[in-house]
Amino acid sequence: MNKCTVSDIQELLPDLLHGALAEAEKVRVEAHVATCESCQEDLDVLRTVKSAAVFAPSIDVDRVVRQIPPYRAIVPVEAPARTRVASWLVAATLALFVVGGGSVLMTRQNSSGTSVKAPAVDSGAPVATAQSSAPSRVAVATPNPRITEPASSHPHALALAAEADGLSDRGLVQLMNDMDTFDALPGSEPDPVISVDSGDSL
Amino acid sequence: MTPSPEGRPEETDMELIDRWKAGDSRAATRLVGRHSQALARFAASAGEREGIEELVQDTFIRAFASLDSFRGASTLRTWLFTIERRLMLDRRRAERRSRETVPVQETDHVSEYGALDSLIAEEAQERVRKSLDALSPTQREVFTLRVQQGLSYKEIAEVVGSTEGAARVHYHNAIQTVKEFLRDE
Repeated sequence: MNKCTVSDIQELLPDLLHGALAEAEKVRVEAHVATCESCQEDLDVLRTVKSAAVFAPSIDVDRVVRQIPPYRAIVPVEAPARTRVASWLVAATLALFVVGGGSVLMTRQNSSGTSVKAPAVDSGAPVATAQSSAPSRVAVATPNPRITEPASSHPHALALAAEADGLSDRGLVQLMNDMDTFDALPGSEPDPVISVDSGDSL
Repeated sequence: MTPSPEGRPEETDMELIDRWKAGDSRAATRLVGRHSQALARFAASAGEREGIEELVQDTFIRAFASLDSFRGASTLRTWLFTIERRLMLDRRRAERRSRETVPVQETDHVSEYGALDSLIAEEAQERVRKSLDALSPTQREVFTLRVQQGLSYKEIAEVVGSTEGAARVHYHNAIQTVKEFLRDE
């Protein structure tokens, strides 16, 4: 038997078997098969193979359907990802704000250094605050204030003490006297310190 | 839309999928009924001998769980074959692993396939099965998808993850082998 050389016809034989050819194509293939022994043999083999596929078990459709979970639309995965990114951005911005703000605050304090907490004379007395917009030789705020006893009677030395808790009576008296000579004292009284009661006034 | 045997227009797979998504469980029954036997035949032709019904069931469960990803670029049946083929490969890998670790039992040769064999009355069918056993796994898949399922080369290439040209070559080699086997028998 001569081997068929019309490869496109050979490839179409399964489609002929399944009735999947257009009418014109079907006529062309059938006309060839009628005269080609090799293609007739191929077609016989294909018929045998197709009909042999009968030993597959029969499927219980209802049983399969019962196992199928109900439909749930898939939520696009971009949304949670975007939310996650946004959360990180917000957190990063807040962190930047806190760190940056703190740095600016510290820089301002270091550069202007115009305020100093005045020593409290009495633990029950309101805190007097020296305020000034102009640079002063009095108010020098240091990032790491140390409590020092004035080494001399010079006001500069006294003003280095950021806290007055550790001052002796003599030091305190000198501080009070020096405050009278400060150039940078405000012309008006400082705002009164409002003490917060524990709800008694309500 | 093609007419059903009752004369009513037959719903397409995509229409049934939309109906199932809208909550109509009967649409799922129609889809499973339409494709389940083809999946069972493909599994049997590809050499699966046990648990074909479970395999078909798993195929539908996976397919329905990811129907949103099915855009209709291929036919639903081709897509189902693709899923089933992956499951078969996973199953074979698992079987290979278990064979490597579990000693062979005396009862291993008794299988569902033995029972199925007894149902094959005609000698020709037995010969065809043996001829298919002579093919490589890929040749067998391509050949049965082409001959028994009537898929095009393009669809076969999608199922087996190959090209149309490679599918044609596999088909050509397969039919030569089967023809020679049947001639020699």
